Amino acid sequence: MSLLTRLAGRQLLSQLRTTEWRALLLASWIAIALTTLLAVLGDRLERGLLRESAALLGADLVLSSSRPIAPDRLQGLPLDRLEQTQVIQFPSMVGQGDNLMLVSVRALQAPYPLRGELTTAPAGSGIPAPGEVWAEARVLTQLEMSLGDTLEFGYQPLNLSRELLGSPDRGTGFRSFSPHILVNAEDLEASGVLAPGSRANYRILFAGPAEAISALNTALQPTLADYERVHALSKDQPLTGNALGNALSYLKLSALIALLLSALTIVLALRRFSLGQHTRSALLLNLGLRPGQLIRVYLYQLLLAWLLTATAGVLTGFVLELAVYQWLAELLPQALPAAHWLRWFSGAALGLALLVLLGLPPILQLARIPVAHLLRGDAPPRDRTALILQATSLLLLAATLLAFLEAPLAALGLLLFLLLGGALFGWVAQAGLQLCARPLAKRLLLGRLLLMRLRQQRQWHRLQAAVVVMLLTLLSVVWISRSDLIEQWQAQFPQDTPNYFLINIQPWQKEGVDEFFAGRQLETELYPMIRGRLTELNAEPIKPQLTPEQQDHNTLRRELNLSWMAERPEHNPLVAGEWWQPGDTGAISIEQEMAQELGLELGDTLGFDVGGVRVEGEIRNIREVVWTSFRPNFYIIFNPEALQNAPATWITSFHLEPEQRAVSRELLQQFPSLTLIDIDQVLNQLAGWLQRLGDSSALILALSLGCGLMLLGVTLLQALEQRRFESALLQTLGVTADQARRLDLLEFLLIGLVCGVLASAGAEAVLAMLHQWLLQIPPRLHLGLWLSLPPLAALIFLLIGWMIRRPLKLEHCYRLLRAG
Amino acid sequence: MQLFQDLVLEIQRGESLAIIGRSGAGKSTLLSLLAGLDTPTEGRILFDGQPLDTLDDAARAQLRLQQISFIFQSFHLLPELDALDNVRLPLEIQGRADADAQARHWLEQVGLGARLDHYPAQLSGGEQQRVAIARAFATEPKILFADEPTGNLDDDTGHQIIEQLFRLNADVGTTLVLITHDTDLAARCQRRLHLHNGRLEEVSA
Repeated sequence: MSLLTRLAGRQLLSQLRTTEWRALLLASWIAIALTTLLAVLGDRLERGLLRESAALLGADLVLSSSRPIAPDRLQGLPLDRLEQTQVIQFPSMVGQGDNLMLVSVRALQAPYPLRGELTTAPAGSGIPAPGEVWAEARVLTQLEMSLGDTLEFGYQPLNLSRELLGSPDRGTGFRSFSPHILVNAEDLEASGVLAPGSRANYRILFAGPAEAISALNTALQPTLADYERVHALSKDQPLTGNALGNALSYLKLSALIALLLSALTIVLALRRFSLGQHTRSALLLNLGLRPGQLIRVYLYQLLLAWLLTATAGVLTGFVLELAVYQWLAELLPQALPAAHWLRWFSGAALGLALLVLLGLPPILQLARIPVAHLLRGDAPPRDRTALILQATSLLLLAATLLAFLEAPLAALGLLLFLLLGGALFGWVAQAGLQLCARPLAKRLLLGRLLLMRLRQQRQWHRLQAAVVVMLLTLLSVVWISRSDLIEQWQAQFPQDTPNYFLINIQPWQKEGVDEFFAGRQLETELYPMIRGRLTELNAEPIKPQLTPEQQDHNTLRRELNLSWMAERPEHNPLVAGEWWQPGDTGAISIEQEMAQELGLELGDTLGFDVGGVRVEGEIRNIREVVWTSFRPNFYIIFNPEALQNAPATWITSFHLEPEQRAVSRELLQQFPSLTLIDIDQVLNQLAGWLQRLGDSSALILALSLGCGLMLLGVTLLQALEQRRFESALLQTLGVTADQARRLDLLEFLLIGLVCGVLASAGAEAVLAMLHQWLLQIPPRLHLGLWLSLPPLAALIFLLIGWMIRRPLKLEHCYRLLRAG
Repeated sequence: MQLFQDLVLEIQRGESLAIIGRSGAGKSTLLSLLAGLDTPTEGRILFDGQPLDTLDDAARAQLRLQQISFIFQSFHLLPELDALDNVRLPLEIQGRADADAQARHWLEQVGLGARLDHYPAQLSGGEQQRVAIARAFATEPKILFADEPTGNLDDDTGHQIIEQLFRLNADVGTTLVLITHDTDLAARCQRRLHLHNGRLEEVSA
């Protein structure tokens, strides 16, 4: 080992005892652990669920349609050398005994899948035989079933023969996250669950040589109807607009806070360290060490520190990943594949970039220190070279961080928000401190000194307060909203709010369904539902008459559910116009927000394409719709005469008490083709996701808080070091060591309390905004927050101050003052 | 290690006394023992007839607060306080109601009446030491310890500071204990003691 390496090792060993190096090591440890966790988890999620790969599509190309695919649909298309199979996917309530649950059913034909494979327990190949069903673990747990049991699937009982562990071709959107079951297409008819007009997704899967697929894709594109989509495997890219993808980005963004805090901690720690190294560097240079060698000594030291933290960080990241995966596992549709091995090291690589990029500028400065420092205490030159060096390092670091987060715009936005929020909180906290300290100053022995100190330390106080307030605010918001939001939202609904939707009621079933409910004293109203597309405004095509934002409106991108009725629905008050009289053909009613956003007014005429037939109507009134009433609601309602003859299915919603659950089972036994949606189950699933996402995000923020505490430690250290002289002087002036300590602790206590109060206010504000705008329910106070955050923040400051503050013995005071 | 041997020293009220000796002779340790900042392992120190080692921390702090002041070679003003607040600090710690008036009075005494709101960084070395002198005298101590008070100043400034120190000493009647290398400075004291090999020897004029 060369002398330089040995020197670097010795230096590091002796530095390990200093607070700044401990803070530096801990901060980079946390940064590496967090990035490892996110890189690995992100890679697994992407590989398993988010990337549009052949193994996930189950094919090379998929034609997907919201209507049954006619047998002649593929006529005239180049199908040579292509393998194909059909799948129908739809939501359905299945069950055993009184237990019912909403699942996503896939009805299969062999061969399936064309790419990738189904994994099951017990293992095997092929697809479920007629009379058999394969179900995912979540179905087994919720319905309390085991292999060999019978699952009621409409009229058709099916034997649960295998547990489904993983499968491609899960479909897109929310349905891909529901629990899945696989059945054989032959059982479909006997079950009676799928009727004409049912909501289902029909797919044809294709596989074959690349050029054949490409030819098919090209031929298919111009023939696509607006209810059809093609998923082709053109490139290995992440799916967009996917909720899970958004969740992952959200977690990565939460990690940005931790990364920034560790970077700041490392900068401050290294600055402090390098200031203390001036004499040593000048001495080493004086002894004949070349600047290049000096740089190497310090670089080795940084690399050794990196080795230490990278090892610890990757291991911690591994443990964290296990924990978070455990949390998410029960909600994920299937087990995730292992991450690419390189991903395990991306955290360590980021840590290296962090340490080297932040460490180089001060190290290069050390090599420029004049030997005359030993005689006159000259500092290294602070010139343009030093500035350029620092700026370059920071830019490179910023680029590295943004590259890691993969969402540069969102990251920049968050950065801006953090800077502005931090500046605001810092400023308010400092003003608050002065305000609290002023009345204290008059009553306390050293009150005036406290005031002076607050003034002198205001820069640090601002930074400390900004960091602590922002972190505590975010942490509280995440912690509270993870369970509170959904509970609050649900709590606003009256006791008898419908908790079931029943859809797909065919015209010939309507009477039977009405009787079924009447026989059980359940008040329900069935509404007709017709699918149609809005195409015209005042007899001209509608799109050219709208702004680009309006053209992208939800109601124009898809087929709408239209209805007709003679009477105004009770739960839809009118805000403009009047309801029509019988016989008033050509009248329609529109929902308030849709009218507002598309700029539609009373008297406008809208034209619709209803199954190829053009239907039009004049807007006679505008209705207010509370979508969260959980009753059937429609954007557009026609007068009865206009749509009475169009093909309709019927929809209703109703409320069942928990002890009435058997009713839903009887209903499905009698009418297996109806789709029953248990709103409670859907909400529970959503609540589960929010809670787990909140837990993961709280974990990341808690680690960020760890980084914040390191930063706090380094800044307090700086302040306390300056204060040693002050404390020594005070003691020689006749203050006892106890009084000096109390003064320090009082300052920490005050700043902690102010930060806690600000964080409570910040969290309340954010939660109030979430209540107001997201849930649209009145905000409420969280008393627990106000009671717990201020003491918590004060405790944080006191603890760190207490740990860092070295008591100054009286006999050292005089020596310290003489040395200074 | 034994620092001092057979050390017997009696200082009268109002006396001025210089302790001289080479570096490392133990002058500063002796001073911190005399001021009650440190406790001897053997022997005792009496202040106004009271043995210091019988006092607890709080009582010794009280003693420093009421009876003792220091002047240091490197001034030790608090950088975040202006001249007036620096002088007011010990008075406020004493809880005196007239802290402000007293501080102004003493700054005027040292010729800084016009620079009350200047911060240490805005004052020259000599001015800083004058603020320190005002701070030391403001509490009207019985005894003032000055450790190389001119060590960081040029000759002229040092000279002026000394003049001021002795003038105030005479006016107030404070006992002055000086540690110095400067033989001229030592010569102005009524008594001079040479610390050598742990022993104190009275040097005759």
